Amino acid sequence: MAAIRTKPDPQIYTFPGFGTDKFPNLMLRGAGDLDNWHLKTYEQKHEGYVALKAALKLEPVAVVEEMKTSGIRGRGGAGFPCGLKWSFMPKDTADRKFTRYLVCNGDEGEPGTFKDRAILEYNPHQLIEGMIIGGWAMQCAKGFVYIRGEFLWLVEKLEAAIQQARDAGYLGKNILGTGWDYDILVYRGAGAYICGEETALLNSLEGRRGEPRVKPPFPAAKGAFGQPTTVNNVETLAAVPPILRMGGAEYAKLGTPKNTGTRIFGVSGHVKRPGLFELPLGTPMDFVVNELAGGSSTGRKIKAIIPGGASAPMFDEKDFDCPLDFDTVKARGSMAGSGGLICMDEDTCMVQATLRLIRFYAHESCGQCTPCREGCNWMEMVLHRIEHGEGRMEDLDLLASLTPRIGLRTLCPLGDAACGPMDSALQKFRHEFEHHITHKTCYATGSRLLSTVGAH
Amino acid sequence: MTDSLIRLRVNGRDVASPEGTMLLEACRQNGIEIPTLCSDPRLKPASNCRLCEVEVEGRERPACACATPVEEGLVVETHTPALEDFRRAMLERLAGRIPAEDPARLAGKPFRKLLDAYGVTPSGVRRPEAKHPEHPYLDVDLSWCVACGRCVRICDEVQGQNIWTFTGRAGDLALAPELSPGLRESACVSCGACADTCPTGAIEDVTRLAEGLPERWVRTTCPYCGTGCELDMGVKGGRLTEARPVVASAVSRGHLCVKGRYGWGFNDAPDRITKPMIRRNGLWEAASWEEALEAAARAFRGALDAGGPGAVGVLASSRSTNEENYLTQKFARLALGTHNVDCCARVCHAPSAAGLGQAFGTGAATNSYADIERAGLLLVVGANPTENHPIVGARIRQRARAGVPLIVIDPRRTELAALATVHLAPRPGTNLPLLQAMANLILGEGLADTAFLATRTLNLETYAASLREWTPERAGALCGVEPEAIRRAARLYATTGPAMIFHGLGVTEHRQGTDGVAALAHLALLTGNVGLAGGGVNPLRGQNNVQGSAQMGCEPSRLTGYQKLAQSRETHAQVWGADLPEAPGLNALEMIDAAGEGRLKALLVIGYDPLLSHPGARETAENLNGLDALVVVDLFLTETAKAFGTVFLPAASPFEKEGTFMNGERRVQRVRRVVAPKGGSRTDSEILAGLAERLGAGQHFRHRDAAAVWDEARQVWPAIAGISHARLDREGGLQWPCPAEDHPGTPVLHVGTFPGGRVAFRPLAWEPSPEASDAEFPFLLNTGRSLFHFNAATMTGRTRNRDLRADDELEIHPEDAAELGLAAGDPVRVQSRHGSFTLRARPTDRVRRGEPFATFHAVAAYVNLATGRGRDRVTGTPEYKVTAVSLHAVTKRKA
Repeated sequence: MAAIRTKPDPQIYTFPGFGTDKFPNLMLRGAGDLDNWHLKTYEQKHEGYVALKAALKLEPVAVVEEMKTSGIRGRGGAGFPCGLKWSFMPKDTADRKFTRYLVCNGDEGEPGTFKDRAILEYNPHQLIEGMIIGGWAMQCAKGFVYIRGEFLWLVEKLEAAIQQARDAGYLGKNILGTGWDYDILVYRGAGAYICGEETALLNSLEGRRGEPRVKPPFPAAKGAFGQPTTVNNVETLAAVPPILRMGGAEYAKLGTPKNTGTRIFGVSGHVKRPGLFELPLGTPMDFVVNELAGGSSTGRKIKAIIPGGASAPMFDEKDFDCPLDFDTVKARGSMAGSGGLICMDEDTCMVQATLRLIRFYAHESCGQCTPCREGCNWMEMVLHRIEHGEGRMEDLDLLASLTPRIGLRTLCPLGDAACGPMDSALQKFRHEFEHHITHKTCYATGSRLLSTVGAH
Repeated sequence: MTDSLIRLRVNGRDVASPEGTMLLEACRQNGIEIPTLCSDPRLKPASNCRLCEVEVEGRERPACACATPVEEGLVVETHTPALEDFRRAMLERLAGRIPAEDPARLAGKPFRKLLDAYGVTPSGVRRPEAKHPEHPYLDVDLSWCVACGRCVRICDEVQGQNIWTFTGRAGDLALAPELSPGLRESACVSCGACADTCPTGAIEDVTRLAEGLPERWVRTTCPYCGTGCELDMGVKGGRLTEARPVVASAVSRGHLCVKGRYGWGFNDAPDRITKPMIRRNGLWEAASWEEALEAAARAFRGALDAGGPGAVGVLASSRSTNEENYLTQKFARLALGTHNVDCCARVCHAPSAAGLGQAFGTGAATNSYADIERAGLLLVVGANPTENHPIVGARIRQRARAGVPLIVIDPRRTELAALATVHLAPRPGTNLPLLQAMANLILGEGLADTAFLATRTLNLETYAASLREWTPERAGALCGVEPEAIRRAARLYATTGPAMIFHGLGVTEHRQGTDGVAALAHLALLTGNVGLAGGGVNPLRGQNNVQGSAQMGCEPSRLTGYQKLAQSRETHAQVWGADLPEAPGLNALEMIDAAGEGRLKALLVIGYDPLLSHPGARETAENLNGLDALVVVDLFLTETAKAFGTVFLPAASPFEKEGTFMNGERRVQRVRRVVAPKGGSRTDSEILAGLAERLGAGQHFRHRDAAAVWDEARQVWPAIAGISHARLDREGGLQWPCPAEDHPGTPVLHVGTFPGGRVAFRPLAWEPSPEASDAEFPFLLNTGRSLFHFNAATMTGRTRNRDLRADDELEIHPEDAAELGLAAGDPVRVQSRHGSFTLRARPTDRVRRGEPFATFHAVAAYVNLATGRGRDRVTGTPEYKVTAVSLHAVTKRKA
């Protein structure tokens, strides 16, 4: 067997009360225990493959119905109802005209997001089981895990786990006597954020350049290799076995009525206990940041939180009480996204932070759409001069005029994503930008800007 | 019709458009131009420039008009202030990348028009590193690139070569030939599609940059292969300056290959002959037209006086128009009084005409190129369309890539063979056993279309009995093909309909060429693949108008319409107002044989180079030497003219005359005068009329223009009666049979019935070629064309295509090459029982061991010095595809 990393990581995965009825541990069950990835452990300690055996006794369409009942929404960021998505696949599963595919999006590249890697690290069999159940529900011939290239050690671990599943008869020909053949292949990405977008991911999976496709056709009609395909996030698929074990209706009782279940929030930045916290949807953000993550690590007040990965517009203090579910976060002007909370304290320069974020999008834009390719660079250039003390007041109007020329105007949401931080930073922290321009010093730190330091 | 229209509201106006139309096109049809950079009607929408974004009521996001289909009741705004502000901002950013210098590069380009419309000017600088290495036809300077990706997509979606790709992303995005430093080293086929679609001139024709925008454009039909692509020819200062594809063309759909797109330079080649010449004392001397025509007429009169009508003959040109070919055979029959008239179909697809004629009753392609996209399976036999019919080849490749099963039967692993679901590689000369075995399997395994057989065919029992000996095992052993592969191909062909067959000279240029074609026709009959869209048997005709030459009657035993002499003699005599000769005529090869025997004394050769292109060149030369007079009508001093010509009459090129060509799918398309005949050259029609006048038959050749000639042909051949020049100008090309002006033409032949009702199967007996390999001649030589050159390279050899591929090469299996001590580029002498030639070796596993392949374009190689006397038993077509040879390294390489 390939060498599997065994070095313990310092990440926090648990908190008092985790694993109780109030805070059920559905996806992070056993996280932190590096031996947990073995099939035997999964079967013996975590009800492994119980859900699969139950699912295979159901008609595929009944499994889809169960998913619909559960109300689970996609954990990749868009929050699209998973059961509905599954039902978009061609209905007639006996029709051999198509080869159906299930693709697991494991490209986790959103800055501030690190939940999928934990599932891959500690619970790969739960993902595999979820993918087999999904494959059965949609009568797929193959499942692909498209996994972020940097997760090399996790690829090895996942492949070892898949082999265990094959050896146990959960994958391969005639799975558990059903007559259904299905296997899972792992495909490594090559380091492009854009490949987390499902159609760019499919292009990359096919060996093409990772560029988003024109939709329609949507993947359910024409996805991987031109065949009907469903793309689900790692966390979504890992939630499938618990949903099937407890029943969709029971799962739907977790969280709030339209935002059911638990999800894994990743807290990073200026907090005492950065880590992953699996919580029911609708848990207030300040509870997560202050109670679970321990509040500010610097002793200074936290002034901004990005509530759902780098693409989500920033929140300032007045929204820190926001319940973390898809709809409320959206109603408050941001998005729940991938569940990554990035906390910034008072000494954080918001100009610099925004520049850092925009530089990421300018770098990761695939370059296909003019507004994104040209616009992100444009924003970066303007922010760069403000950050370095060469900004003009008109630059703020210019920045404000750029986002409507980029947002909603691209094939994929990368352009929109770049506008989120830009717009929110300008709205909520405009005084910091103005200070940079008028005082040539940083509002947050007081330090002089580069242009005033002189050449050396 | 109105029912299928979708009604929507654009900018407050009610607009209707057919279902499935994209908003961009629907608006354009209604006079609303929406700016766009990345869209091209040849390509799937990419929606990446985003300039065509419009606001749709009720939608959160603006929609790209190029990718939004019209919907009932849609309310659309196309030019709101926000949209216009967005477009201007994007154009300003893009203009910031484009160099301010050299504005001529942008002249006439879509991007220039957009910049002008929005009052934006380029403000960037040229980046020296963005200039790509030199290429004969394509100038690439990515300082002008706006990353619309049209080049990448057209190379993928249309040509299927996938040369262009983007590297890097976002700000570092750059265009590059995949896996290659420059286009020349890449697998680029120089089709020029990228330059044609480029909206900024970042990829541009070298000629456009050198000559500037043409003053005018003239639409005509390509003078190269039988595909019949349409061209828009650019003219400046009375000269051709460029050729562009025609998006609206039914045949080529906005695509061209390197020959049609860039191979027009021969028109102004310095060695083009534009003054008549007479050979005196062995030397060519300039003459007036009067002198030259008189000298030619005198020669024919002398030959007729000495030997009668059997002593004269005419070789017609498959490069010339239908009208000129019609006049050529009329000239032979009336002015010379002989049926000794033939065309180069004799050396290519005469077996297709004969084989399909026997099998179906019409000796032409049964279906249309448009059926490539309708076929459920494609079977390509003895043809290499990606090189020789590249527009057809590209489309077949696109289908194969889209998952349509493709079967290729070819000794070589051609580009299509490499893509094929099944590739059968029979030994040269063993097509028949292979096809017989497939037929036998289809019958034996009950895969035949019994309903079709019962209602539309005869003689099945006898035919089936004749096939029984052809087990896959027996055929496989003869052909060198796995029996299991034959089974797979037969089952696939029989069970995946509609199945469309394309074949080429790999079927016809054999001793049993006609039988090979018949065997293909039988496969189609057995499976009911005749008379339906997406099926049939379709010869890929070689020359632009070889179909037309034969069809107009340049055939010793056939009159216009490929009608048998006996059947149509009366009609012709009536329309012509003169009787036709009684004595049967000789075909092209027989005429030259007769010259050697002293029976034929004077020969008129129009746009044909028999000395270079006929097999057994030494013998051809001896025979031609027996002529008293050889009158050559051509653009250049051909090898035939150089060696044996007595009078040279300079002809107008295909760009210099009016008329029509007939492509390989029976489509008649207009040829238009783009420029005036160069120097003193004249059209074939004028030349033939001048000769006829001097031979006392002038009254038969006094047509007002090409249209009048065509109208006369319509009287003798009912199948084209409905096609007039005026109608072609109005509607574009039409496929015969088209018997009346209101008839739409016939894309698919034999729907429901055959011309003679039912057709009969004809048992085919295999006769192995005596041209077999032995200890002395252990290799079997195959011959053919390459992408960059056409036949004898008379035209392409006078263009920069020679910079893309200079020399002929001998493809040889690497193990054979190693045994002979040959490395790439080493000269190798090819010796047959008939003669020898020398060319350079190119080791490649495209060919099998023992089966080298030579291209035959350049005079220097002279492949026909080694080809033999073998001919198809029915049509006399030479056996170019099989010659037993030995190979010899010319210089020993140092150990």
